[in-house]
Amino acid sequence: MITLENIVKHYRLGDVDVPVLKGINLHVEAGEYVSIMGASGSGKSTLMNIIGCLDRPTQGSYHLENRDLTTLDKDGLAYIRNQYLGFVFQQFNLLSRLTALENVMLPMVYAGISKTDRRDRAAAALVKVGLGDRITNRPSQLSGGQQQRVAIARALVNQPSLLLADEPTGALDTKTSKDVMALFHDLHDQGITIVVITHDSDVAEQTKRKIHIQDGLIID
Amino acid sequence: MSITKLRPHAVPPLEVGEMAIAALLSNKLRSGLTMLGVIIGISSVIGISSIGQGVQKSTEESLRGLGTDILQVMAGEAESGGISQGQGSVSTLTWEDAQAIAEQAPSATVVSAYLQRSAQVVYGAENTTTTVYGTDLNFPEANNTFPATGRFFNEEELDAAASVVVIAPTVQENLFPPNVDPIGETIRIQGEVYDVIGVMEEKGAQGPMDRDDAVYIPLTAMSARIIGNNSLMGTSVNGIYLKGEDESQLEALQFQAENILRLRHDIDVPENDDFRISNQADILETLNTILGLLTGMIVAVAGISLVVGGIGIANIMLVSVVERTREIGIRKALGATDSTILNQFLTESIVISGAGGVVGIVLGVGITFVAANLFSFAFVISGGAVLAGFGLSTAVGLIAGVVPARNAAKLDPIDALRSD
Ligand SMILES: Nc1ncnc2c1ncn2[C@@H]1O[C@H](COP(=O)(O)OP(=O)(O)O)[C@@H](O)[C@H]1O
Ligand SMILES: [Mg+2]
Repeated sequence: MITLENIVKHYRLGDVDVPVLKGINLHVEAGEYVSIMGASGSGKSTLMNIIGCLDRPTQGSYHLENRDLTTLDKDGLAYIRNQYLGFVFQQFNLLSRLTALENVMLPMVYAGISKTDRRDRAAAALVKVGLGDRITNRPSQLSGGQQQRVAIARALVNQPSLLLADEPTGALDTKTSKDVMALFHDLHDQGITIVVITHDSDVAEQTKRKIHIQDGLIID
Repeated sequence: MSITKLRPHAVPPLEVGEMAIAALLSNKLRSGLTMLGVIIGISSVIGISSIGQGVQKSTEESLRGLGTDILQVMAGEAESGGISQGQGSVSTLTWEDAQAIAEQAPSATVVSAYLQRSAQVVYGAENTTTTVYGTDLNFPEANNTFPATGRFFNEEELDAAASVVVIAPTVQENLFPPNVDPIGETIRIQGEVYDVIGVMEEKGAQGPMDRDDAVYIPLTAMSARIIGNNSLMGTSVNGIYLKGEDESQLEALQFQAENILRLRHDIDVPENDDFRISNQADILETLNTILGLLTGMIVAVAGISLVVGGIGIANIMLVSVVERTREIGIRKALGATDSTILNQFLTESIVISGAGGVVGIVLGVGITFVAANLFSFAFVISGGAVLAGFGLSTAVGLIAGVVPARNAAKLDPIDALRSD
């Protein structure tokens, strides 16, 4: 599914190069359920943004389904994000102006799917995450757990190859965290490839493979 | 599965438009206020240019109502001892000049001479100041102005310098109560008593002169009682109307009249002419030029408010892009390309400006309609002006939106997502 080889990422702060990722090698097979753990500031989000094609590595190669993504231009990366990747953020990142249904429809707008198909598929995705009765609610009318489930429905609606989640339970209480993790478990059982970042070992325990990152390097 | 197609799907313009409208509707007050600049700009451009055109058309129509087949000979500079007396002060034209043109100019079909003076006219307790014309029998035909009721004076009355008067509608209105038929009544002009024998038809204001605010008496009566006849020089007149067969005859008629008058006045070179000949077409042209210039200038000033409106849109769009940085990050994370984001914000700018333009056009047409009815000129809306107004407003939106939209498109998705 994905293969990262010797991924290095530097941030430039003024005149200094700050190394954040120092040579990451990672391979994730289709259908895997992987957690990435590590202390705050260890580079988890930076790695996730590179895997999610939101950012480019300073060095190294990244293959998704045998295609070298480091050679793609901005539009190419946008296409990959839209068609192959689903992203779930800690802060949900829903558009407050739009209803749950419209939020879930958004990735399909950029995929060129017809309006009626969009509506049907978004509604089905919301039913799947248990929000079939909340499709016309705006984010402000939903609880944190419900908002995150809308975000998960949105991440899945274009049938991505890979679902990425950066601390998806970080803004949720214990009970709703459990609900969201149960949903991830279901999705894994349905064969979806999932990479989830967390610093919560309870969350990591539920995944099938745990990866630890420390100071920009994977340690085992 | 393998990745083959890597070109993202472009969101169709119609859908970008829907997105833009939804975004603008989510903040109605701000959108409305932003539109205001364009509304004011476009409505004034449309309104003023249409009003200008309407006034021009009406003036032209009423001038044409007098006939474009007419020349007017005006008494000119009478040089006595090198001192200019000013036009029409001591008249250099006489009744005899008019007679000579009528007899000798082959192209002249109608010749009418007149004297003209502003005077007070009294009926009972009412009085009004109007223009008194002393003229001959040909005046109605020369000016295309005929009595609506009663009659014009006849040859006997002209020869006898009879005290008869034909009044025009405005004078009737000013002097007589609606239930009184003026015909058969008497009025006083500069103290002298005149019998009203007719009321002229209404002609509407003729640009600089108002045929409806006038009274007509025999030239002989005017000459004898109001002006005081200078019999040694013949009966002096202020002007002579000359009518040709049609418009094409005017040049020939002018040439003939000039020669006859120069001969009679002993003038060797045209520079010494003591008269001036003008025709309606010239007057029309001058009037149109002045009106066009005036309209153009005011429209240009109105155009400035459009520029101000454009700056307002650019300003709000810049603010909006900053406020919606996170939205832009989210959209990009979900697969929006730079050009999709660029289109989205550019479209918002164009939609807000275009909508302002449409409202401005409607408002401008409304203003023109009200003004045309209030001040009774022709209601003219040129499709060109409407199209130009719409084109201008969308162009303003496009220009105003370029920088904000580029700012939005350039945003890095990670930076955008991290904002707040
Ligand atoms: N855009 C950036 N510019 C500079 N430094 C950054 C930037 N993003 C992240 N960093 C730094 O990189 C390190 C790793 O950050 P991050 O990947 O967010 O860590 P984590 O998600 O594991 O908490 C931190 O020290 C952070 O300050
Ligand atoms: Mg992080």
